[in-house]
Amino acid sequence: MDIILGYVTTILVFFFTYNIFTLGLNIQFGYTGILNFTVITFMAIGGYVAGVLAMPKAAAGSGIYYILGLNLPWPIAALGGVLAAGLLGYLIGQIALKRLRSDYLAIVTLATGTLLYGLIGNGTSIFDGWQGLFNVPQPFAGFRTWTPLGYSIFFTIMTGVLFVLLWLFANRIYKSPLGRVMRAVRDDQDVVEAFGKNTFKVRMTAMVIGSMYVGIGGVLTIAYITALSPAGWTTGETFVVWAALLVGGRGNNFGAIVGSFLVAVVFNEATRYLPQIPAHPNLIPDIRYVLIGLAVILSVYFRPQGMFPEKKNTFLEVPLGDSSKAIEEHLAGGLSKVGEQ
Amino acid sequence: MSLFFLTLGFGLVTASVLSLLSVGLSLQFGVTNFVNFAYGSYLSAGMLFTWTFSAKLHFPFILAAACGVILTAILALIVNEVVFEPFAKRRKSIFYMLIVTFGLSLLLDSILQIFYGVGFEKFPIKQSTAIKIGPFDFTGVQLLIILVAVVSMVVIHLLLTRTSLGKKMRAMSDNPDLAKISGIDTKSVTRATWAISGALAGLGGVVLALNTVYFETTTGDSLLFVIFAAVILGGIGQTYGAMLGALVIGVVTEVSAVWVSSAYKTDVAFLILVVMLLVRPQGIIASQGKA
Repeated sequence: MDIILGYVTTILVFFFTYNIFTLGLNIQFGYTGILNFTVITFMAIGGYVAGVLAMPKAAAGSGIYYILGLNLPWPIAALGGVLAAGLLGYLIGQIALKRLRSDYLAIVTLATGTLLYGLIGNGTSIFDGWQGLFNVPQPFAGFRTWTPLGYSIFFTIMTGVLFVLLWLFANRIYKSPLGRVMRAVRDDQDVVEAFGKNTFKVRMTAMVIGSMYVGIGGVLTIAYITALSPAGWTTGETFVVWAALLVGGRGNNFGAIVGSFLVAVVFNEATRYLPQIPAHPNLIPDIRYVLIGLAVILSVYFRPQGMFPEKKNTFLEVPLGDSSKAIEEHLAGGLSKVGEQ
Repeated sequence: MSLFFLTLGFGLVTASVLSLLSVGLSLQFGVTNFVNFAYGSYLSAGMLFTWTFSAKLHFPFILAAACGVILTAILALIVNEVVFEPFAKRRKSIFYMLIVTFGLSLLLDSILQIFYGVGFEKFPIKQSTAIKIGPFDFTGVQLLIILVAVVSMVVIHLLLTRTSLGKKMRAMSDNPDLAKISGIDTKSVTRATWAISGALAGLGGVVLALNTVYFETTTGDSLLFVIFAAVILGGIGQTYGAMLGALVIGVVTEVSAVWVSSAYKTDVAFLILVVMLLVRPQGIIASQGKA
């Protein structure tokens, strides 16, 4: 029973963190139309920075090297990780969001991802290179004496609560005037510019908020696993998030949840139990990526709006002549609709 | 000073490799107007196909390389027919085209990895000895790479300026709709462009593998953004700009090894890309409405 419960909690933490990644990408791509092709790098930066802030100084002679090691309490470390992810988003935005076609941003994100992957992997002194960080302190670990299962359950609940808060916040942004401008920028940037909005600022806001979401997911990931190495954030992982968003439905946070569940949990977990072929240890992960790549291409072709399309706003159309009746009807039937939008 | 000339010589070789690759990417961007993020996979495919012909089937190397290049061109054609053509028919927005090419790169890389596995390969050819030309030291292979690149650039130049296909490609690059109503068969021009782009990717992959000796399935992807840097530097969609960009990126990244560790070569390319995007995002040779 304990084993099953432990497994379920792990899956749930996985599900919640992937949801947070997908929400972050949804704010960037779904709301604002920003192509971020290196989602997972923000997760890594958030996780790494939170890790080195919380960990004690690297012991001399242990063969393990990392920067900082400030031994800070975890809330400050976590905040630092999230801010670092936001800062990376800000820097990338500064380079590529000004007056450029979306291809350039896509190229810059991908280039930054490749670059940081190489730098962190080869630069052993930053985050211990390809080996990565381990023994990262966990939040509330010294709060009381936990059984391993008890801690897992506690962590799952904490992640779940955080996910719900972030979900509500993402929905709040969607409905807010800022969210409306974001969607307008996505649909036609020139029109929004003609209305006197600062589209660069709007896109930058979306970029930074989205990056911080992914950063939060990264902080949770490293806190739960207590380790992170470059093998855990290859380009393929970015695809998992993209596939989740596209299959679920871009611009719709409910779709993002369903997509994360289907792609990140059901699909990833289901293929994990396929029998391993000893001569080809990479065959199963490769097949998984082939299928995820196919899922992205097919879903864009057949159903670009995803399983749960974004709800379109309905507007009151007043007919010529006697309009009072139409307005009354709209108010009577439309009130419930107004709340949903 | 000798170190400077040594790195400059390497720079010219790297620039030759990059010129093939960036012209292939830039030609295709000009005609189809979307960036192909799967280009790195074509490049890897070129070197791996050649490896199959040369190491497994024991073809003479030149013949193996020719087969590899042709197969890569065919791969690019098939991908265009099966994936891009249906999307173009539906007039999907550029967002989706980029996502599709991005998804395709994962797909093709994984398929290559299933067949070729992880780990490094090497062409079964002898390493040649150095030849001194003026202040430079080149190996025979390096001279061959430079020769291949120069000949290819001349051929591309003649293709674009002297042939009807080249004129049609330039017309489509300027204005695809106008080209279409002027009676140009845009579909077959697009096909020809993909074949040329694939062939250049394959050829670039083979000479890259000759230059670095060891290669693996992800070699193409790790070089992808250096190619992007060259293309953006020259002006995206500009063929001659891409040649110029390749020359600058190739020489600067190699010569930078005089001052910084050569492990940071690609970081130098990234730095050039960033500075370029901040200062002159349209590139050295700007094209109208593409930045």
